[in-house]
Amino acid sequence: MDLLKTSVTTSASGSEPYTLVALSGEADVTNSDVLREVLEAEVAKQTHMMIIDLSELRFMDSSALHVILRANRAMDRQGGVLALASPRESVAKTLRLTAADQLIPVYATVTEATAG
Amino acid sequence: MYETDGEYSTSVGGFLRAGLEAGQPVFAAVPPARLTLLKDAFGGDAGRVEWADMTRIGRNPAWIIPRVAAFLARNQGRGVRYVGEPIWPSRTSAELREATRHESLINLAFASADAEILCPYDTGILDPVVVSDARRTHPLLLSDGCLRASHGYAEPFQIPAICRAPLPPSPHEAMPFIYRTDLSAVRALVFKHARDAGLPDARANDLVLAVSEVAANTLRHTKSHGTLTIWHDNDEVVCEAHDRGVITDPLAGRRRPPADADGGHGLWLVHQVCDLVELRSNRAGTTIRMHMALHGPVTLTARNRGPRGAATVAAARAVRVVEHGCGPAEDVRYDFGLG
Repeated sequence: MDLLKTSVTTSASGSEPYTLVALSGEADVTNSDVLREVLEAEVAKQTHMMIIDLSELRFMDSSALHVILRANRAMDRQGGVLALASPRESVAKTLRLTAADQLIPVYATVTEATAG
Repeated sequence: MYETDGEYSTSVGGFLRAGLEAGQPVFAAVPPARLTLLKDAFGGDAGRVEWADMTRIGRNPAWIIPRVAAFLARNQGRGVRYVGEPIWPSRTSAELREATRHESLINLAFASADAEILCPYDTGILDPVVVSDARRTHPLLLSDGCLRASHGYAEPFQIPAICRAPLPPSPHEAMPFIYRTDLSAVRALVFKHARDAGLPDARANDLVLAVSEVAANTLRHTKSHGTLTIWHDNDEVVCEAHDRGVITDPLAGRRRPPADADGGHGLWLVHQVCDLVELRSNRAGTTIRMHMALHGPVTLTARNRGPRGAATVAAARAVRVVEHGCGPAEDVRYDFGLG
């Protein structure tokens, strides 16, 4: 069984389409390459809005965080927006302690993230 | 040397007041009883000083340098004054070692900063060994209102011997666990042990993150396995990871990495979430011992306060501005406003 599962869906909020990447399990140095490939593939589609749903992610280490920060820079460069939704408290704490939450908007729910 | 609490507030307060009069931003982080003493001495001017309870912001001494760095950053381009008292008698011996390490690292961390730093030491109640370490970690000593070069000061920069000596052995009943790439198993083991020992969920998760970051470093930077040993007593849960890697930067994890940095967050997180981290690294490998107190942060009451009449030596260092290349001791311009 994979430690980290990812699922990608495309939806629309109002007329605005967005890509939702749901992560579940544990994201760490042993699977950060997988996470990088998934996120880079979505960035490459020139998606305008990408939301990463963290609600089922039990653990995230700094390697996974670096992958997300990289995706955020790539989205920035192409004029898109990356947002994070519903992190558990331990993941939210990592975002706060590294100040990653100052670079990437973090929302309580996916719905709030789509509303911006 | 100070004979009374009143003299503590006169001299340490005088150092801060001289800063205020010169228009410098001033910051004081001392134990609560000292805080009260100083604030009382400042009266209506207390609002012009940034105060912090050192038993909170410096509970883990590795938190202090980033906190002072943030103060400097907020006051960029202005000379600042800072008083920091991270050592008090009820510190455990592991905490004392780390507080002593901090005292030597602060010189290194702010060597080129425009900062004047004063560290009060309560010689009346602190162990003489602690005071003699203070002489080694501080270039200048203030006593009896006089500032002198500290003859014990170790230069060039050197971590004091007590911070380099091997850590006390782990309890022999603690079973070492060998890890390679199975970090999820490492995390499950740490979580279970931490919860069984009585650590609340959130703090158990903090310890899980710290150990996982250290184990991830083993994976990233070494070609061999790591060893994890976990134990607890009535006061704390301790996780110790050992691997063949070498960490050479004495300030690793004590400087906040830029949020967008592609590295350096691992050890930063380890220091941030733990109550205390001890690190030993040499050519044989690296040992990182992470401590979490079982009963939450210790709140200090009267225990950290010296008896009346206790003598205190305040050691000053990093005094004055290396910005224009002046040496540390010769160019000292000091006015404590003691007169």
